[in-house]
Amino acid sequence: MSELKPWLKLIFARPGRLFVGAFLMLAALLSGLGLLALSGWFITETALVGILLAASIPATINLYVPGSGIRFFAVSRTVSRYVERLYNHDTVLRLLTDIRVALFRKLAAAGRGQRRELTGAQWLSRLTSDVDALDTLYLRLIAPAALAAFVTLLIFGLAWILFDIRIAAFIALILALAFVLATLAVYVRTVNIASRQSDQQEYLRMAVVEHLEGFAELTAAGRTGKHGAWLLRQAHQASSDQVKADSRTGWHQAGSHLLINLSAVFALWAGFELFRSGAISGPVLVLLPIALLGLAEVYSMLPEAFGKLGATQASAARLNRDCRDADHGDSTAEAASLPEYTALLAKGLTIKHPEHAPLFTHFDLQVKTGERVGILGHSGSGKSSLADAFSGLLAPSNGAFASLPSAYLTQKTVLFEDTLRANLLLGAPDASDAQLWRVLEMVDLAERFHTEADQLDTWLGSSGSRLSGGEARRVALARVLLSPAPLLILDEPFTGVDTTTREKITRQMDTRLQGRTVISLAHGPDALPGTDRVIQLG
Amino acid sequence: MTKPALDQRAVRRWLSGLTSGNRRWIQGTVAAGTLAGVATIIQMVFLAQIVHLGVIEKAPASALAPFFIGLILAIVVRAIAQGAQAHLAARCSEQVRRTARRQIHQHWRNAGPLALGQTSAGSLAREWIDHVDALHGYFARFLPQMTLSVVVPLLILALVFYLDWLAGIFLLLSAPLIPFFMALVGMGAEKLNQQHFETISRLSGQFLDKVRGLTTLQLFGQTEEAAEVIQQRSDHYRKITLKTLRVAFLSSAVLEFFASVAIAVIAIYIGFGLLGYITYGPSADLTLFSGLLILLLAPEFFQPLRTLSQHYHDRAEALGAGTEILARLADDESAGPVRNTDAEDSGARPLIGESITDNDAIEVNSVSLGFRPDHKVLKDVSLAVNKGDVIALTGPSGGGKSTLLNLLAGFLTPHSGDIHLFGRPAGSFAFGWLGQSGFLVHGTWADNLRLTSPDASDVAIETALRNVGLGPLLDSREDGIFSRVSEDGQGLSGGQARRLSLARIFVADYDVILLDEPTAGLDSDSEIFVLEALHKLALAGKTLIFSTHHQALLALANRVLLVSAGEVKDV
Repeated sequence: MSELKPWLKLIFARPGRLFVGAFLMLAALLSGLGLLALSGWFITETALVGILLAASIPATINLYVPGSGIRFFAVSRTVSRYVERLYNHDTVLRLLTDIRVALFRKLAAAGRGQRRELTGAQWLSRLTSDVDALDTLYLRLIAPAALAAFVTLLIFGLAWILFDIRIAAFIALILALAFVLATLAVYVRTVNIASRQSDQQEYLRMAVVEHLEGFAELTAAGRTGKHGAWLLRQAHQASSDQVKADSRTGWHQAGSHLLINLSAVFALWAGFELFRSGAISGPVLVLLPIALLGLAEVYSMLPEAFGKLGATQASAARLNRDCRDADHGDSTAEAASLPEYTALLAKGLTIKHPEHAPLFTHFDLQVKTGERVGILGHSGSGKSSLADAFSGLLAPSNGAFASLPSAYLTQKTVLFEDTLRANLLLGAPDASDAQLWRVLEMVDLAERFHTEADQLDTWLGSSGSRLSGGEARRVALARVLLSPAPLLILDEPFTGVDTTTREKITRQMDTRLQGRTVISLAHGPDALPGTDRVIQLG
Repeated sequence: MTKPALDQRAVRRWLSGLTSGNRRWIQGTVAAGTLAGVATIIQMVFLAQIVHLGVIEKAPASALAPFFIGLILAIVVRAIAQGAQAHLAARCSEQVRRTARRQIHQHWRNAGPLALGQTSAGSLAREWIDHVDALHGYFARFLPQMTLSVVVPLLILALVFYLDWLAGIFLLLSAPLIPFFMALVGMGAEKLNQQHFETISRLSGQFLDKVRGLTTLQLFGQTEEAAEVIQQRSDHYRKITLKTLRVAFLSSAVLEFFASVAIAVIAIYIGFGLLGYITYGPSADLTLFSGLLILLLAPEFFQPLRTLSQHYHDRAEALGAGTEILARLADDESAGPVRNTDAEDSGARPLIGESITDNDAIEVNSVSLGFRPDHKVLKDVSLAVNKGDVIALTGPSGGGKSTLLNLLAGFLTPHSGDIHLFGRPAGSFAFGWLGQSGFLVHGTWADNLRLTSPDASDVAIETALRNVGLGPLLDSREDGIFSRVSEDGQGLSGGQARRLSLARIFVADYDVILLDEPTAGLDSDSEIFVLEALHKLALAGKTLIFSTHHQALLALANRVLLVSAGEVKDV
């Protein structure tokens, strides 16, 4: 359960809200129980009085109190249910925000090395579903379980007052058994299946993707049928597991329901003894069993929630792992001091990714301020890792390194689902519109956005989907150029940009970036902007 | 306006088509649910009877005992039926999902690799796994509940009418028309779901967008600002959502209200009736038994409807997923291969009316193909290739090289003309194919090669891997061909992956081998190995046909064909 701790802490950061929400749930539940129990009491009472009246024996009955009680419960049931749903939905949406923001902050604090292997679309979709599992933890599981326990105690008290302690204790025992059956027992019997479900799903997904990627080869070899049948078996295996879990949950639900009904039967049986001895009246005898039957409503929410607890735990564990601080243990690199007129100094650097062979050992480079350095290397030569090291994203594992503050254009174009302005302002939050237009001019995009109705506020769409690849690249470049950092590191700045535009931008950069240091990396000389010297890797 | 409605109808048709093969599971689920409903009614009858006998008739414990036994029996039957319902429902959904997966897979096979390649493997996999799983709730919960929410209330209504028709009318009035009620519930739930899902997916989108670009945000020192943006937007969406929810929740509140009021009205009516205050109607016949029973049954009358409204989102989810799956299944299949390309079902096509074909040659007879009417990719191409020939197809990109290869593979069907390989139609027997991207599965080297040649011996596998220059890599692994291909997270390079695919061809001993740009994008090491391997295959008398621009490969061929502007010429 320890994996849930940080998330529970987050959820319970709003105790007032949770308490009010639980109270509203309780009100709805008690109104329902009250409506039925009071009605049962009322009918029995009227039946007894009716018999007396029919036999012309004088008898009185207070119709006003139970009548208005029944009416009150009917209305309070509806109102509290409506308010409760609205209020708790609000809570869930708030928790969703809390959890996402907290997770985002944690991810931002965690090392990049951790995230590196995790940036795929698959990881993102898994992240979403893991977060969703936690959002509803309170509403699905914590609140109903607490409520069921509390109402069970109330009923115990009611049985004690109306009947006696012996009967109350026995009823409480049966209900405790029902509670365990609906919660802990379901959890224990499904935890293994539920926690392995996600892994199973990932394995299956991988297998399907492989199958599809090799579809041409498999078709040629006449094996799509056989391999497809294997896949179907795998998928079937996964859903059989789910059937097992669902079916166990279902039986537990039925079992706990059975015990609740049996507790009502017992209350009736034991109540008759008290009734015959004159200790209780007929209407009171009817009240308790009916109230017990009403308990099924809150108990029935439990098994499904507890059947998913294993999966929720697995989700929490994965999220915790994603947020774990990266291990910088093997870095023995030291910070060098930067000599005068030097923008970057690397001495004997070893650059490697954790658990991989080093890409560079004894790498030396000194870049003077204002210098334009080009670094060439074919794909796979470790050029981007070098750029990562220069920008501080990847800590070198050995050697000495120092540089001026830098702005880094990563090889991957990253634009946000936001306006052009918001995307550019990341580079320099205080930049004026004039500055933005100037930098757009530099990457030859000013004209393109002048014609847009929203100009700087043009919506770029998801991942800049409203732009062509080359345009998106140039927006990302503009963002880096806008940054006031004295050192610019550009990894493949012109991906997807045609030659004419490339030359235009190179000319603009040459004249406008006077005095700033630029290190550009590319696969070939024609993909580099203007340089003073070029280094060839590998 | 009409189109989405039609689509919805098609989706519903497809969903009900899925049930047709698995009807007995659904019927079983409904039967178990009905049994549970009947047991509930019986339970309440015994309960009311016991109270009546004990309180009014003052019956002794011994007289009540049989009723108590009956009561317990009813409760046990109810529990068993409930458990069985859950079990059968889960099984039903399992069967349906199996059928759906089989259908989609069959569609993939019919569509062929070329058409399939148009969509990313990731989204196809999502359809096959997640979208199919999204059908679960519909078949396991919603569909059976649909029937149950009619059957069980009607049974209860009939009994209440028998006991006291006025109380029956109260029930009936509170739920004026069950279908009307269901529509009300449905509309509310649908709106609620739509709104909810939209909000959630928008919020997820926003959140994921920021997570995706986290490194960039870090580089510019803007993570804290981004966190605040997530917070603000989430809050904004929450407020908008709540406005809609206020209305959407009303429909379930109406159901709740009617249920509560009906119980209250019935309780008060019965109470007054029992007191003898009501002098008209059937109330004079009311007893504690009938009165209490009606009261106990009233909540059970509404329960199935409430359960249905809880499951309504399952329907929305299934319709959403079904729409996407159906869109895939309805994809134009005309570009696909004519027949099942599996060698397992080969050779069934009769050769009546076809030209006499040469069993030792590959023959292309006046084949034309165009994807648009105004533009033919291949125009009336005829070609004969002898067994053992090594053919290079060259020419500008878009000239039709890949199309010709795909036709020869049977992945495409010509619009006119026919293609025979050694007397057999294209794609009707196993052959070697090497695409532009290598293909490997998570598993051992042996697993990877046995994927296409299940009977290959260990020695043959090792020889094949050495033939493509993977020997040194194999020697560095502890368990040789039984070590995993990608060990300690170290995958294969693109070149190594393609060589692995080539090794499959070595093991399988195909007569015909088709290769699409076998050296494109390879590092120089891999290039040399691929060239050597192709040379060995050529020496072994295989018929090789590949598209290429590579000089060394052109030199390897004994015949070079220029494919340009839809025509094929010898060079």
